[in-house]
Formats: sequence, C-alpha cells, structure tokens
Amino acid sequence: MKLTKTLTAFTLGATMAASAAFAEGTLTYAGSGGGLAQVMKGVFDDPFTAETGIAVNALATSDRASALKAMQVAGKVTWDVTELNPIEYATASLSGWLAPLDWSVMDPNNALPDDAKLADAGIAATFSTVMAVRTDKLPEGKQMTSWADFWNVEGFPGGRALQNQPIDNLEFALIADGVAPADVYTVLATEEGQDRAFAKLDEIKPHIAVWWTAGAQPVQMLSDGEVAYTSAWNGRIAKLAAEGVPVTINWNGGGIKASYVAIVKGSENVEAGQKYISFMMTSPERAAQFASMVPYPGMVKGLYDHIPAEKGTMMPTHPNNVGDQFVTNALFWGKNLGPLKERWEDWILE
Amino acid sequence: MRDRNFLLPVFYLLVVLFLFFPILIVVPISFSNGRFLSFPPEEFGLRWYRAYFSDPVWMSATFRSLRVALGASILATFVGTLSVVGLGRRRTKTSGFLTAIFVAPAIVPNIIVALGVFIFAIRLGVSDNEFTLVCAHAAIGLPFVVLMVGSAYRQIDPTLERAARIMGAGPVRAFLTATLPPLTPAILSAGIFAFFVSFDELIISLFLMSSAETLPMRTWNDLRFEINPTIAAVSVFFVLVTTVAMSSTELLRRRAEKKNAA
Amino acid sequence: MSKRLTLLPGIALILILFLIPVGIVFQQGLFDPAFTIEHFTRFATRGAYMRIFWNTLQVSAVVALACLLIGYPIAYFIVRQPTARRPFLMFLVLVPMWMSILARTYAWMVVLGKEGIINQTLIALGIIDTPIQMLFTTGAVYVGMVQIMLPILIVTCFSSMTEIDQSLLRAARIMGASPRKAFREVFLPLSAEGAITGTLIVFILSMGFFIVPALIGGRKDTMMANVISGQVSQTNWGFAAALAIVLLAATLLILTLVRGASAKLVHHHEEAH
Repeated sequence: MKLTKTLTAFTLGATMAASAAFAEGTLTYAGSGGGLAQVMKGVFDDPFTAETGIAVNALATSDRASALKAMQVAGKVTWDVTELNPIEYATASLSGWLAPLDWSVMDPNNALPDDAKLADAGIAATFSTVMAVRTDKLPEGKQMTSWADFWNVEGFPGGRALQNQPIDNLEFALIADGVAPADVYTVLATEEGQDRAFAKLDEIKPHIAVWWTAGAQPVQMLSDGEVAYTSAWNGRIAKLAAEGVPVTINWNGGGIKASYVAIVKGSENVEAGQKYISFMMTSPERAAQFASMVPYPGMVKGLYDHIPAEKGTMMPTHPNNVGDQFVTNALFWGKNLGPLKERWEDWILE
Repeated sequence: MRDRNFLLPVFYLLVVLFLFFPILIVVPISFSNGRFLSFPPEEFGLRWYRAYFSDPVWMSATFRSLRVALGASILATFVGTLSVVGLGRRRTKTSGFLTAIFVAPAIVPNIIVALGVFIFAIRLGVSDNEFTLVCAHAAIGLPFVVLMVGSAYRQIDPTLERAARIMGAGPVRAFLTATLPPLTPAILSAGIFAFFVSFDELIISLFLMSSAETLPMRTWNDLRFEINPTIAAVSVFFVLVTTVAMSSTELLRRRAEKKNAA
Repeated sequence: MSKRLTLLPGIALILILFLIPVGIVFQQGLFDPAFTIEHFTRFATRGAYMRIFWNTLQVSAVVALACLLIGYPIAYFIVRQPTARRPFLMFLVLVPMWMSILARTYAWMVVLGKEGIINQTLIALGIIDTPIQMLFTTGAVYVGMVQIMLPILIVTCFSSMTEIDQSLLRAARIMGASPRKAFREVFLPLSAEGAITGTLIVFILSMGFFIVPALIGGRKDTMMANVISGQVSQTNWGFAAALAIVLLAATLLILTLVRGASAKLVHHHEEAH
C-alpha cells in the first residue's frame, strides 16, 4: 500500500513538475517502463527537470542491443541515454554504438569508485543472481551454504531450478566443482574449463525440475513450493521473505551484474545526457532513496550509510555480501555467448 | 439425435468452464491484499483495484490500448474484407500467392516485424507514433480477417449478387445488399480477434510506442520480476464489466421473449 | 476488373507494414554483404535446431487438432440454438480473451503446480498420495495453448455453420435420411470449409507462438519463435532471419497443401451431388 501511495504521490508531483518546467530541451531515456520507470521518475527524472530545466522523456524498451542496431541500419539515432544489461552493454560497446563519457565533468568530486566509471558507460545499478532457499524444505538442522551443497542432491533432497541459459550456470558449476570465484573466468576461457563446467552440469541436470526463462518464475515457484532451491534475482527474494514465505538468500557464489547507462553515439544531447547520468549516479542520498524502493543499489560511495542495516544486508553490494560473490564478466559473455549458447541449446535438448 | 441433445450442453458447459479456468483462479487473487499470486489468498480486500484506478499511468495505458486495438481492428476488418472480395471465390495461383502473403504476418514472430517496422518508421520519421502502431497492429490482425471472412465468402451463394446486378444494382450496391449481410458474422468475429491481437500485443508496441505505454507495456516489466496482482485486477475488471453487460441484455431479451409468448 | 482494385488497400498495408520492414531485416541478416547461406546450413546441420523445428510442428499440429475435436461440437451446439440465444453462448466463449496471455499462463502455474489446486484436490480426495508432475511438461503446454486457441476455432466454425441452410437438413430428414446420415451427408461437408480454415488458423498461430511453452513447458518444449527472439536479443539477425524464413516457408507449404486438398475434397463432394 505504501509503495502504491508513494507512486501516486510521485505521479501527481510529476504532472505538476512537468507543467512547471519550461523546456530547456528534452532528453530521451530508453529504460524498462512499468513500475521501475515510475520510481525513477520520482527519484531522478522530476528532480533533474526541476534543477536543470531539461525534460526527461522516459521510454519503455526491450531488446535494446537490437534496437541500437536498428538505428544504425536506419541511419538515425532516436535515443539519447539508454539503460543496458551486461550482454547488451558488451554488444553495444564492442560494436562501437556508444559515445565516450567524460567522467572528469560528470564526477568531479570522485563520488564514484573507478569500477563504476567505464569509458563508454556508467554502472547505475547492480543486482545479483543468487541461490534462493526455502528454509522449511531443508533437512532437519542443515543449511545450504554453497553451490556444492546445491549439487549435493542426496544431502539436500528437494526440487531444484536453474535459469535456461549458459550465463551464471557455467560459473555456478565451476564454483561447485571447487574453482575459486575469482578464477572462474580464467578457467572458463579455456576449452577444458568449458568442458569441465558442462560435465559438472551433467551431474545436476536430471535433478533440475525447471529451467526457468523469466525472472518472475523462480519467485512464483518458491512461493508455490514447486521448488525448494533455485537460482533467482536477488531483488524479489527479499520481498518474498518480507511477505512471510520462509525463504533466504545465500550470497555465497552469487553472480553480481551491472545495469549500465550510456549515451548512444550520434545523439545530439551528449551534454544533457552526461548531466543526467551524473545526476543519477553521484548522489548517495538519491541512490539510497532509489535502492530502498527498488532493491538494485548503485555504486556511489557511502550509499549504505543512508540505508537501514536490515535493508542493506539484503542487497548484493553490501559489505557483508559483496566478498562472497563474483562479478559477471560482461565482456567475456559478449564475446563468447554465441558459441556457448549454441552448445547450451544442444545440451539442454539432449 | 436425442442423446446428443443432452450431451452437447454438458460438453459446452465443461468447455466454457475450461476457458474460464484461468480467470476463476485470478478472481480471488485480484481481491486479495497480498503481494504475490498466492492461492488461496489470506486476506481479502480491494487493494489492487484501488491501485489500478487511482494510478493515472495505468488508466491512460488502458485507454490507449483500447483506442489502438479498436483502430487496428476496424482498419484490419475494412481492408481485409475488401481484400477477400478482390481475391474472389475461385482458387487460382494468384489468389493462393496473395493469401499466403496476407497470412504471413501471423507466422513471422512479432519481434522481426517489430524490428523491421521500427527501422522503416525511423527512416520515414514516424516512429514513436500511435497511428503507426495502429497500422502495424492492423497488419498482424489482417490474417484473421482474410482467412475467416474469406472462408465465409466462398460459402455464400454468388447467384444472389449476380441477380442484384442483373436487376440493375451497381457493383457496390449489389455487394452491400446481397453479399455483406451474410458476411457480417464472420466480419464481426474476425474483428473481435483482430482487437484482442492488438490489445495483448507487446513487442511491436515496445518498439513503436515507447514513450506512451499501452497496457501490456505497463505490465511486462513488472511481470519480469514479480507477478503483480494489479494485472489480475485489470483482467477481472474487464471480464466482469462485459459479462454483466452481456448477461443483463440476455436477461432482458429472455423477459421480452416470455412476454411475447404470453 | 473492379473487384481486383479492392485488393489495393490490403496490398498497400501488407507491403508497407510487413513486406518492406521484414525485407529490411532479412536483407540485413542474410546479405553480408553478399547473400550467405551460412545461417541456413547452421540450421540444417545442428541437431538441436532441427529438433526444435520438429517440436514446433508437432505441438502446432496437436494443438490444432485438439481444438478441432473440442471446438467443432461446441460450434455445432451453439448454431443449433435459437438465433436470439446464440450471441450470449458465443460471448461466453470469447470473454476469457480479456485476460492477457501472459497472465493466463501464470494462472496455469497456480493450477497445475505440485502444490497447486489440482494436486491438492486429488490428495484431499485420497485419489493420489504424492503430487503428479503436471507443470513443466508437454501436457501443460497443450492445455495452456488449447485454452488460448480454442475460441478462434469455435468462432470460425460457427460463422461458417450459420451459413448452412437449415432447410437442407430438414429436407434430408423428410427424404428419410436418419439424423446421423443427414448430419454426415449434408451438414458435415457444408461446414468443412470453416472447420478446416479454423484448424489452419490455430496451426499458423501456434507455429509462431512461444509464451506458453517457455513458461510452463519442460526443457525440451522449445519453439522456433523462442529461439528467434533469443537470437534477436543477441543481435544475431542473420540466424533469426534464416529461422523465420524456414518457419514461414514450412507453414505456408502446409497451408497450401491442406487448402489444395480440402478444395479438391469439397469440389469432389459438390460434383457427387
């Protein structure tokens, strides 16, 4: 109810802000639409318009890498700033569809760690693919604490699910097989490493009840009791637990992923775009406000000083959690997804 | 024949129950106050209906979807029925080839149509435009019209139209008076399907309409992360409103029927 | 001559909003810069994709036939009711379409799950002890898809059945034909056109469909459309285009064959009378 009220308040505020702002130009932002866009409007877009006079036209978009390619084919760019998932970022960056960013202008006070500032994108939010566990389905007195436990079907009986894609699962398999999270991509870069990951996946394959394809699926399956253990995106598991479903996140071996923001090469609004990205990323207060509504925190320093501990510990980049996870290597997957996906499709149909 | 008279109504009821099953499940969820699609719900209330009706974004998305679907369905039925007449009754190589082209949008996955129309619309400067979306949705609704109306058209006795022509009616008048009336049920059904194809379409809308959300666009991002019961409330609302409207007309009709009989 | 002119708006619509746009995507994907068959050979030589193709065909055929077997009697039932009552009976068939396909698919998860309504009921009634695996099976795909496609078949059959002159049936009965014979000899052939068209529409739509199999099917229930959208997400337009062309060609081929055969059948029947 609270969220709904806040959203309504935001929307009302937004209407007023929009009529009050006289246009200093409009910035087109390709995001995801829906409830997320409504939150962003309240936390980022409207305050940004109030401060700079630049209106933000937020778009609901999907398949953004293909959309960027379509703009190349059409010979005209219709977006200024775009949100990108890791694979989309890798594709767009390797194809040269993104404009370079000047971080000395965008982050003069070094509010952001260097990791968040890439040559052609910023890391605006993070989430993690983690292991979610229905605690009431665990054997008496046992805790599932690692991917090795997940693979241990005798010690931990119960339905299991994983996502139907090679990303994450090959990493999880190697970690279950004893590879240190830090070494995962060195191992995965070799053919033997890939064979090793698939061999380990062979072991678990008969015990996977569901290969999920949409992020809402594992949430629904945990809620229904369809499976006891599954990989899942962290954000909704925290909410599921808050709803009273006996479910916990096991951060150990989770794969942290970034949501990137970038300026599309060919945009005529580079300056306004840089201002907007800087506005979005560099204020710990605003970032905390955003993260408390949508559990995908940004990278700004001091973020967790503004978030209550019980909420913060449910987030992937919290100091308690970050060390147990690995960071999903966007460029590795950008280069290797094609052949590995093909191998995955063969493997899944076997 | 007699035993079939008893079996068929039972079979009809079972099939209607099957068709309604997902909605029956969703009704209690839509009236719950919980967050997730959990069944049976623990606490009842109007939370999700309030969320839907009090949110201007949801409301404008609903009206936009209804508008686009209505426009697309009218355009598709109009253009499609004309095409059926043009294709003629006899199956020739040309009519077969053209039918194949008219049907193709139902087969090629929408994502490919979406990409193509996006590129073409950017080149023509008509991307992010509601009218472009109406036309694109009409194109994917066209296969229904060409197939459904075409099937009815081939069944209609052409002598009536020919007779009208001989009696001196112009081709348009002959068509309107002799051929159109028996085609109406098929045109109406095809229009209904073209409407729902557009009303539920997501991918093309995401590419062509991104700054003004339609109903499926408003829901898809939420659905990626959680099952938001607002979607259940929206579905149940439309089913309830149309069912109440239709049932009351049916009741009125039956009452009138009885009166007439008496 | 003037009749041909009525084709123009349809051709214009399909040209501008389908043929040219899809042509651009195909051209971008398949000309690199000269035409390449590399993507087609990849499809033909990788076992996984051929299997997905056959699976798509099989699912579409089963769904279409199931809809025909269920939907035809329903349409027959409705058409035999008094004309004034038909709209309401038809309305009940159509009204579930207000619910988005995505939401309907999630609703089936609640119904078919291990701790779902059906399993819970069966266990409570003592019919089974352990839950049956229904979700994430091919059976679940059929149930979900038939629920979505069935109204299309019913409506198509119905609108062709309304065209059948009831006096013909009566005449057959007066001439001494048994009800069964009157149905078989008069009604069935006259309603065949609509039934075949409805079945074909369901088949065509199923060929390009993927939401239900992706969400409630098992790991082997992948459809062509699913792979195509995955390839588009990876900006791999060439392979996506090749797969779409294969899908289109196969579907249109089947469509042409079935329509040709049915035309002959109907024609043959007309001559016999």
